[in-house]
Amino acid sequence: MNRERIEEFLYREADLLDRPDLDSWVNLFAENGIYWMPATEDQQDPINHISHIYDDRVMMEIRRRNFIHPRASSKEWEVRCSHVIGNIRVAPVDKDQVTTVTSNQHVVVWYREEQRLYACKVSHRLRIEGEDFKILEKRVDLINPSAPQQSLIIYL
Amino acid sequence: MTSVPTGDFSEVVTPTRVHRSLYTDPDLFELEMTRIWGQAWIFIGHESQVPNTGDYFTTNINHNIPVVMVRDKSGTVQVLHNRCGHKGAKVVEARSGNARGAFRCSYHGWSYRHDGSLLKVPNEAGYEGTGFDSANPCYSMQPLAQAESYRGFVFATLSPNAPDLKTWMGGARECFDNLCDRAPEGEVEVAGGVLRYEHQCNWKFILENLNDTMHPMVVHESIVKAAESYLDSLPEDAVEQRKEAEIIPPFGASYEKFEASGITGFPFGHHYDGGKTSIHADYSVDPDYHAAMVAAYGEERTREIYAFNTHNVLFYPSLTIKCAVQNIRVIRPISVDRFIVETWSFRLKGAPDSMLQRTLLYSRLINSAMGMVGPDDLEVYRRAQEGLASPSNEWVEFHRQYGKDEQLEDRTVGGGTSDLDMRTQYRAWQAYMEGSIFDKVEQT
Repeated sequence: MNRERIEEFLYREADLLDRPDLDSWVNLFAENGIYWMPATEDQQDPINHISHIYDDRVMMEIRRRNFIHPRASSKEWEVRCSHVIGNIRVAPVDKDQVTTVTSNQHVVVWYREEQRLYACKVSHRLRIEGEDFKILEKRVDLINPSAPQQSLIIYL
Repeated sequence: MTSVPTGDFSEVVTPTRVHRSLYTDPDLFELEMTRIWGQAWIFIGHESQVPNTGDYFTTNINHNIPVVMVRDKSGTVQVLHNRCGHKGAKVVEARSGNARGAFRCSYHGWSYRHDGSLLKVPNEAGYEGTGFDSANPCYSMQPLAQAESYRGFVFATLSPNAPDLKTWMGGARECFDNLCDRAPEGEVEVAGGVLRYEHQCNWKFILENLNDTMHPMVVHESIVKAAESYLDSLPEDAVEQRKEAEIIPPFGASYEKFEASGITGFPFGHHYDGGKTSIHADYSVDPDYHAAMVAAYGEERTREIYAFNTHNVLFYPSLTIKCAVQNIRVIRPISVDRFIVETWSFRLKGAPDSMLQRTLLYSRLINSAMGMVGPDDLEVYRRAQEGLASPSNEWVEFHRQYGKDEQLEDRTVGGGTSDLDMRTQYRAWQAYMEGSIFDKVEQT
């Protein structure tokens, strides 16, 4: 497993979210891909416990369309992000060509004339597809998932 | 407004308008906390959050008074002031947990039984002959003036003058009955955790929005269009995707559809929209759930339970429930321009897990700070909060269908797009603020 290629993939994904370009970003996910932001620490269950986000491709497709809709008032505000990624760890590749990559990410979000800081541990379950990867699951664990949250209209 | 009216609030509330200071004046907010939140029955929690002796759950009953809900040795759920009888420190800091044996203050170690009574003062000999009487209730963790539960939902009030909980709920309590009757075992329990959503605006905006049926097709147009455009892009056989996406389009229901759902208002500011039908009426029924319901209630009663279909029910000012979705939102004010909304989900006892999963899906998509509906609602509340700084018009109006509200014995009914919900809650607002809210109440 080429670690550099994995890092490059994480940076490319972060670039798309920084811009943000959700139309391109959703294509990084496998057809059965999932984006998960738990609502509590060490959450085990995405289905029988509430999450901030637990999107399959159906919900990603709806969000992507909503994000650029001219009548979405919460999206009239410019949103830009800056992801900084560190502490990358790569697990061995399993027999299905799947690996799990964990990282710490600090994301600064500019929205509604304010800068906010999110700190999270991110784990990507990636399927290796030749030179490229598809995201099977991206899990974003905020350091304060059960604190009151402000509106967040973009994926971290 | 430069100062708060003292006794008569008719200069800031009329039957069809309220003054903009209701949303912006910090002094008025402080008075609301005393007179509305300090008199009304406020939702504290649910009995299922504290199943065992010593289990507790903490919250604030208004913007700053800390309370703890706890199950005592006799099995009774108590609501106590979370304040040590000694120096006043908060005794319980965690949001929830179990106090094995007793509560113990972290400052000087005074300890309290689960019913709040003082258990032990360390090194008590020093108090001998000082006039200190450990049996005086002022040295306990005092119970609130009143606490009661209805079908497991625990409310408390700081007012000894409030009528009993059932009387205060009035006809709106049939919504709690419907929520619980939707469980094959007739009971619900808190499940699946909580979402907490910070709102940077006055707490009343969300209450006004609940049954404001003139807003969804505007505020939520984009998400409805996004869902519809996605649905249109799907091939015929994409059954699963269709089923998942169908939760969203009802938010864009037409004016006609909302008008037909009707609005019902009750004394003390409560109201709901729907009843016979609502935007939740067309969600498909899980066959396993339906079978469990029919086994418990029979076909006819089951149909009756489904048929009572409200959208949002407000128990003014702290709680709104969705019977058909089995989630609730709890309002926790903080300051004149800030409050927290907590979304709690419920398991219908005896129903398959798929029902809780549906509830959680709903809460996640609609009520999460990262959801697809809530952020657009909050955006317009914030614009109202900012716009009301303008002195160009001192008033916020709610004339829609004024004069057409029909007064029945215990409730007022009107068209689904009327402002009856606004008139209902501001009539109660005024009576709470003027101190007359509990005059002439007949207990049932």
